Amino acid sequence: MEETEKAESSTNTKQEEEPQQVWSWGAGTDGQLGTTRLEDEHSPQLLKLSFLSPESVGRISMLACGGAHVLALTSGGKVFSWGRGSSGQLGHGQMVNYLYPKPVTFFDSYSIIHISAGWSHSGFVSDSGCLFTCGDGTFGQLGHGDYRSHCSPVKVSYFVNKNVEQIACGMRHSLVLLKDCLEDQVYGFGSGKRGQLGISKDRIRSVSLPQVTNGLEDVEIVGIYANGDCSAALSADGYLYTWGRGFNSTSDVHCPQYVPSSTSFCQAALGWSHALVLTGDGEVFMLGGSHHGTLSDLEKMSPARHLSANSSGVALEKVSGLDGVKVGQIAAGAEHSAVVTENGAIMTWGWGEHGQLGSGNTSDQTDPVAVNVGDEVQNKNTQLEVYCGSGFTYAISTTYLPSETC
Amino acid sequence: MSYDDVEIEDMEWNEELQAYTYPCPCGDLFQITKEDLRLGEEIARCPSCSLYITVIYNIEDFLDKKSNEKLEPSKQQPVAVA
Repeated sequence: MEETEKAESSTNTKQEEEPQQVWSWGAGTDGQLGTTRLEDEHSPQLLKLSFLSPESVGRISMLACGGAHVLALTSGGKVFSWGRGSSGQLGHGQMVNYLYPKPVTFFDSYSIIHISAGWSHSGFVSDSGCLFTCGDGTFGQLGHGDYRSHCSPVKVSYFVNKNVEQIACGMRHSLVLLKDCLEDQVYGFGSGKRGQLGISKDRIRSVSLPQVTNGLEDVEIVGIYANGDCSAALSADGYLYTWGRGFNSTSDVHCPQYVPSSTSFCQAALGWSHALVLTGDGEVFMLGGSHHGTLSDLEKMSPARHLSANSSGVALEKVSGLDGVKVGQIAAGAEHSAVVTENGAIMTWGWGEHGQLGSGNTSDQTDPVAVNVGDEVQNKNTQLEVYCGSGFTYAISTTYLPSETC
Repeated sequence: MSYDDVEIEDMEWNEELQAYTYPCPCGDLFQITKEDLRLGEEIARCPSCSLYITVIYNIEDFLDKKSNEKLEPSKQQPVAVA
């Protein structure tokens, strides 16, 4: 009895001291796992992140994981970054890697509300609607009108009189979503060779100044996504639009195309050759990913329920193996996927060579497998989220005090 | 199976690695040297994983450079010594 009480009180204390726990696994040779080691991890590693004290900067409200770097946005609007920095993508004014989170001091006097990490560049949106970019600019993906790289964030002057809401950074391109703007709401810049900018029916090599993405007129967009040479957007009425590199070796799409579906979607995630969507009922569907996307075996894919096929012949397939358990959140790496179920489990599938599935080995998985992050996260006040970089994965559990839940 | 087919013009020359590179989904870079290209090699490998890509290029473009470079070092060598 006494022991039970002790255990409970220590648990409570622990929760107060650590309102957040962060785990990472997968490819780690550039320091992107934040473990201070330069090696892959095949199982979730609980990180000791000293900056995560409520008194200092607050909690992590969002992570953005890129090719081999990570950006963390805190509830106080500050940004930390770590991992590969060889192109200046960490924004620390240097082109070096950091093995542990380092504050991006450039934003000391700003409040940041949205972040995105691409292959080797980064984007940041301030609460005043300004966009900042840094990192590799070789393809014009920083949007400054030139092809220079920057190791500190630079304000994108094209948007100074516009209200930016979101940034999405892909391999060599970027997308921007404006706030409260039905016309000309999505912009693209950087490499456009695969149609990923959606700015022209012609093959565009690259543009270094933002240009309006066509085909989204009269559609209210609420989310934009970029990864590899793919682009996607989610509309307020729950449609997924995709453009850029074709899924499953289909031809490139130069103008946003909506994916016909009888179901509406509330979340989307984009890999290098697959997309995930989540329905309001907690069902997950995958687009592409059966060729080498998620490197899964086409033979083993269950063609159980084709929702639709768009004009390029790519079908949304329901992700089987979740046993009817509803999903609350989805994430996609280059060739792997991760979801959080409503009962607090993390499930992963796809390419596993670097341990990015967190299953303790390097096997590929065609069906979702459960990831064990140690303590069961079953507390109703605890929220679990997953984020995927190219070849690595993060999970964050946030415990809200009862007064904070709504 | 090759992960992707990539045109040489979409690869980037990396001075440090002395190789043409292209992003690998694991986070590292597919790499192929000029010497490999001269020899007709068309597979660029990632040093960190099992994936590789097929490089689409015209071998003539690299054979020409070889003959140029053969001339250059002999011309420059005396300068380097001095």
